[in-house]
Amino acid sequence: MIRFVLGRIAGLVPVLAAAIVVTFLAARALPGDPVTVMLSDHSADKVMAAKLSAEYGLDRPLIEQFVRYVAGLAVGDFGLSFRYVRQPVTSVIRDSLLISPVLALAALALALALGSAAGIVAALYRNRMADTAIIVVLVAGLSIPNFAIATFLVYVLSVKANLLPVAGWGTWQQAILPVVVLAIPSAAYIARLARTFMLEVLQQDFVRTARAKGLAESAVVLRHAFLNTLVPLITSAGIIFGSLLSNTVVVETIFNIPGLGRLAIDSVFARDYPVVMAVVILFVLFFAAINLLVDVLYAVIDPRIRAGLSA
Amino acid sequence: MHRKFSRVLGIAAVAMLAAGLAASASAKVFRVNVVADPAQMDPITYSEIVSGRIIRNMYEGFTVTTDDGRNAPALAERWERLQSGPGFRFHLRTGVVFHSGRPFTAKDVKYTFETLLKPGNKGGLNATYLGVIVGAKEVKDGTAQDLSGIKIVDDHTIDIAFTKPDVLFPIYPFYFMDAGTVAEHGPDWMTKVSAGTGPYKFAKWQRGVSVDLEPHNGYWGGAPKVTGVRFMIVPSGDTALSQYDAGELDFVDVYAASIRRVLRDDRYAKEIIRVPRAQSTYLGMNQNLYAPFKDKRVREAVSLAIDRPAMVRGLYGGAAFLLDGVTTPGMPGFNASLPELKFDPERAKKLMADAGFPDGKGLPPLEISGTEAFKDELTYFANQFQRVLGMPVAVKTVERATHIRSMNAGEVAFFPWGWTADYPDAAYYLSQMWYGPSPYNRPRWKNADYDRLIEEALGVADDAKRFALYHQAEKVLLDDWGMAPVPMTASVALRKPNVRGVTITPFGFSSFAKIEID
Repeated sequence: MIRFVLGRIAGLVPVLAAAIVVTFLAARALPGDPVTVMLSDHSADKVMAAKLSAEYGLDRPLIEQFVRYVAGLAVGDFGLSFRYVRQPVTSVIRDSLLISPVLALAALALALALGSAAGIVAALYRNRMADTAIIVVLVAGLSIPNFAIATFLVYVLSVKANLLPVAGWGTWQQAILPVVVLAIPSAAYIARLARTFMLEVLQQDFVRTARAKGLAESAVVLRHAFLNTLVPLITSAGIIFGSLLSNTVVVETIFNIPGLGRLAIDSVFARDYPVVMAVVILFVLFFAAINLLVDVLYAVIDPRIRAGLSA
Repeated sequence: MHRKFSRVLGIAAVAMLAAGLAASASAKVFRVNVVADPAQMDPITYSEIVSGRIIRNMYEGFTVTTDDGRNAPALAERWERLQSGPGFRFHLRTGVVFHSGRPFTAKDVKYTFETLLKPGNKGGLNATYLGVIVGAKEVKDGTAQDLSGIKIVDDHTIDIAFTKPDVLFPIYPFYFMDAGTVAEHGPDWMTKVSAGTGPYKFAKWQRGVSVDLEPHNGYWGGAPKVTGVRFMIVPSGDTALSQYDAGELDFVDVYAASIRRVLRDDRYAKEIIRVPRAQSTYLGMNQNLYAPFKDKRVREAVSLAIDRPAMVRGLYGGAAFLLDGVTTPGMPGFNASLPELKFDPERAKKLMADAGFPDGKGLPPLEISGTEAFKDELTYFANQFQRVLGMPVAVKTVERATHIRSMNAGEVAFFPWGWTADYPDAAYYLSQMWYGPSPYNRPRWKNADYDRLIEEALGVADDAKRFALYHQAEKVLLDDWGMAPVPMTASVALRKPNVRGVTITPFGFSSFAKIEID
């Protein structure tokens, strides 16, 4: 098991290396250079521009900039922000670091709970009113875009009813709407999956056996059937977490949350390369971490995979 | 049991009272939006608009721009010319204390100037005003530590000698800082404290959320009446409006994309404030890059083909003002008697025919360029010049930094743009946008008479006489159709009815020193 985890971690190295190279080149391929952005209207000041270029090492050859950057990364130094005067990248992203993954995890938990409950109910009441109603809601949840749901909820709950704050970050009330908005499409997706898996499992022999031996229906559904849907559900949780993480960019912008997603957008517009690159590398790490976690959970839940690993 | 119950009741009552007090106390914090995090929070490196809006409540200079666009004495009570040569003697205000409690004296002025100039300090916007001081170059190059042109006469009198006259020096927006701050708090002091004399001092900055200021009770102009100011960082204009609607903001700076929505909504009618920006807007025509622009008749025809009132109504939904020259209304040096620029398609067509381009025949193709944010204007202009003049104009949008760099290099033929003033005097526009040697003369229009008038004006201290020279220079430019003025967009803000003593001016937010919230 440990060897398995270590192997997976080693597999991350080329992924990260590729991410570093691609972001480094992509950031420099963008039109517009950071010194002009920094000086804005005053960018005709050639002396100032040359001074800034030298201070940030932008006057050196690309390859030298890259080597310096990677050398810095090795010791956890992401360089200086271009936009925030005298601030290291680490201090710019420190406050935002955990906001996006926490949002995504909270939304994932909510989506898993809501989604699997709805999926099970729909499967049990297959082709009846409850099932149809759930499917209608699911299709709506999947097809209405995030920002439309967000705008609607803000208008009704915040502006009209004044129940929840419109935007911002810092209190638990401010987290409710973003988490809900983020969770809705994923919950719908999970519900659809859960319904399909559940229907499949309910046809299986062992379920019939469980019923035949006189188990209560709740035990049949929850212990025998639902537990068996968990493996495929958790596999998809990894992918879902990925999409949640990328959706935080939208939700953070709508709800004005100072997470990594919004920081990434702001930094792209400010041509703050060092911050953009740090954020991309962090996102790669988050993705990798959740996928690793999924693989491990897999092994924990499914005895067959565990057996395969130790063999 | 009984006693326990009453104790619980008592605690609950105290808690509710405390909560009530907290709520009423927090209601006195003035909350306003800014579009992004400030890039810096100190008066030395400061160089951008958001920072400027925040730190002008913490720091002050010799003078301050009043809400109606005049210059009033602030940390200097008065000043006079030096007898010995160009320069000024400033008499500093007495009884002024910094946020640290230390008194403000002449040594702080000298310290601020030296800090702005020293290499490695990344002196920002304010460093650009110091070039005229004797010895500035040596400090800037690192060959001297001491700014030799400054003489401290006593704690409240300081002599500043120049290499050449600069009559505008007293109105440059300097921000004087406490000379004792770095020694007390270290080089990253700006993340912990503010070092100014202004009505508010720095409390907290949560990146991406807000910047909080608290009152400076020792402020020489009287302690603020609110318990704090909170600049909420809100990049989206729609979010800012929703926050205002929900009572989470007391004052909202309405961003360009939301202005139409606000103007159309009757709910806001009593809360709206609308002023022209201190931004001189024009359509630049570079004669070096497009040969037909060399003909004055073509330049005049371009100006005549613009239907400015229709732009204000249609394109800007009313959130714009006509501009008939260079200097914007509200700016010292504004000429209120300039004739209104006409929309005259007939005369425009005739001029084009006279110039050898009847109905645009024989004109080489031309691109009108701008950033994505200007795409509506670009489309309007291209369409209008095609329709009225038969000019083959295509639209080109360019990334902002690239566009600014090309304009500064004089490489853009045809573009609408604006120049935002950093200090209240028409010289900001006239000497930077159209003066021959200025790198910000982006269309590269050149005229010897104009340059001579500007040079002369900058040596005249008397406002009325200087402004007369400005008006002459402006007329030279307009008579030559060196550019075509275009409507200026409005700054629009909303203010809750229970808020008094704050507004929006052509230069941005007014001072927050006198805000009251009922």
